[in-house]
Amino acid sequence: MRVKAMFLADMRFQARYGFYFLYAVLTVVYGMVLYALPEGWREKAAAILIFSDPASMGLFFMGAIVLLEKSQRTPWAFAASPVRPMEYVIGKVGSLSAVSLAVAAVLALTAGVGNLPMVLLGTAMAGGMFTLSGIVVAAKISSLNQFILWTVPVEVVGFVPAVLHLFGITPDWLRYYPVNVCMEMVSGAVPSPAGIFVAAAWTAVLLGLSGQAVLAMWGSGGGGKL
Amino acid sequence: MIQVSNLSFSYTRQPFISGMNFSVSAGEIFGFLGPSGAGKSTLQKILIGMLGTYQGSAVVNGIECKKRTKAFYEEIGVDFEFSTMYEKLTARENLRFFASLYEKKPRPMETLLRMAGLEQDGDKRVAQYSKGMKSRLNFIKALLHDPLLLCLDEPTSGLDPTNSRMMKDMILAEKSRGKTILLTTHNMQDAAELCDRVAFIVGGKICALDSPHNLIMAKGAATVTYTWVEEDGEHSADCPLGRLSSDGRLKGLIAGNRLQSIHSSEPTLNDIFMEITGRTLL
Repeated sequence: MRVKAMFLADMRFQARYGFYFLYAVLTVVYGMVLYALPEGWREKAAAILIFSDPASMGLFFMGAIVLLEKSQRTPWAFAASPVRPMEYVIGKVGSLSAVSLAVAAVLALTAGVGNLPMVLLGTAMAGGMFTLSGIVVAAKISSLNQFILWTVPVEVVGFVPAVLHLFGITPDWLRYYPVNVCMEMVSGAVPSPAGIFVAAAWTAVLLGLSGQAVLAMWGSGGGGKL
Repeated sequence: MIQVSNLSFSYTRQPFISGMNFSVSAGEIFGFLGPSGAGKSTLQKILIGMLGTYQGSAVVNGIECKKRTKAFYEEIGVDFEFSTMYEKLTARENLRFFASLYEKKPRPMETLLRMAGLEQDGDKRVAQYSKGMKSRLNFIKALLHDPLLLCLDEPTSGLDPTNSRMMKDMILAEKSRGKTILLTTHNMQDAAELCDRVAFIVGGKICALDSPHNLIMAKGAATVTYTWVEEDGEHSADCPLGRLSSDGRLKGLIAGNRLQSIHSSEPTLNDIFMEITGRTLL
């Protein structure tokens, strides 16, 4: 019940700050770009677009959302309420995943990607990982500058191997690297069970870390600035 | 409602709160008074379960604060010194959302808005509210789930006299509904007006604990100040109220109808605070 309340409140918050309008515009732009490309390029281009934006937007938007919340001191209200850190985290991941999936579906359909359920599953998995990473970082910082600095290493380890993997440039020891597994799914391929297991396990670790980070943020009361 | 025994807490190696003992009965307004950095907010954080690394015991509504569960917060309403609302949502949207976080049936939102004088502004975004309106909204947010204990942190801070009066009337109305209220404040007048008992906190310790009336009466007697005129100008003198009959000069001035003025004055809670702690609140 509380998760539903947190999920709906996050969606209302994101709507009021224009996130959905922004993504509606971006989706149209991305769709036009895909449509303009030669048919043979569209699937790979769609995979890169989906992975680098709807799937990973949680990393960047979490910084904005959590910092806005800190500036409005709502973490204090949650700290003195029955809300559990995990309910807060799931509300955030769920609300951003809803937008990610909608945008990814439109882009995949525009590009004519064959395996839509796999694309959406990969988007949801990558979106979860990036959003959880964003929560871990955003909970610990107090300004947008700090957030931008701290997300650089996450971007490097999150994007570079995945894009290289899409073009077949992957050392063997990175075969089950979680974002590579997600990239396979986003491009419509079916990953190995071992790959899915590693990605799911890494998501569970990030879930635990983000819960701890939120608990620490509530304990200190937040109080960041934009 | 609250039992605190041998409570100690430290952010560093130096103790920040040490050896605190007090209890608060149900239905009481209990005030924490002290200068900034005295430990009032830390104590309140411990009592609302935000700091669990203390020594000793702090039991609120039968639950040890460090062992709090979700149920603990069903009976605690916290009004922080600052707004904790979503600024881009309206007052009604905020209240509806925060009420949905509790298991208990919420108090009627419209009744609370009317009580705070905000019924006409419930559909405005909180960002458009004045400081006084935000304070009143924050206060009724703490009442939404009808908690047994209210923790109020500087509820009248920065408010104009009208808003301050409204806030104090709302606090007294909650007391009359049987709520227990913890009040943290710098404002001695508010404390004297609202609190059944107050604790003076300085340096993480309770220096005095009693009703405002008893503290004033125990530490400082009322005095009478009178003035008269001599050839070399006006003079004044003080005399404790209880020794008026033995003040020969006063008796002589009264007999000769030579008094220019006479008035009595009691020490304020602030005077008592300074006398006991050697410090001012501001």
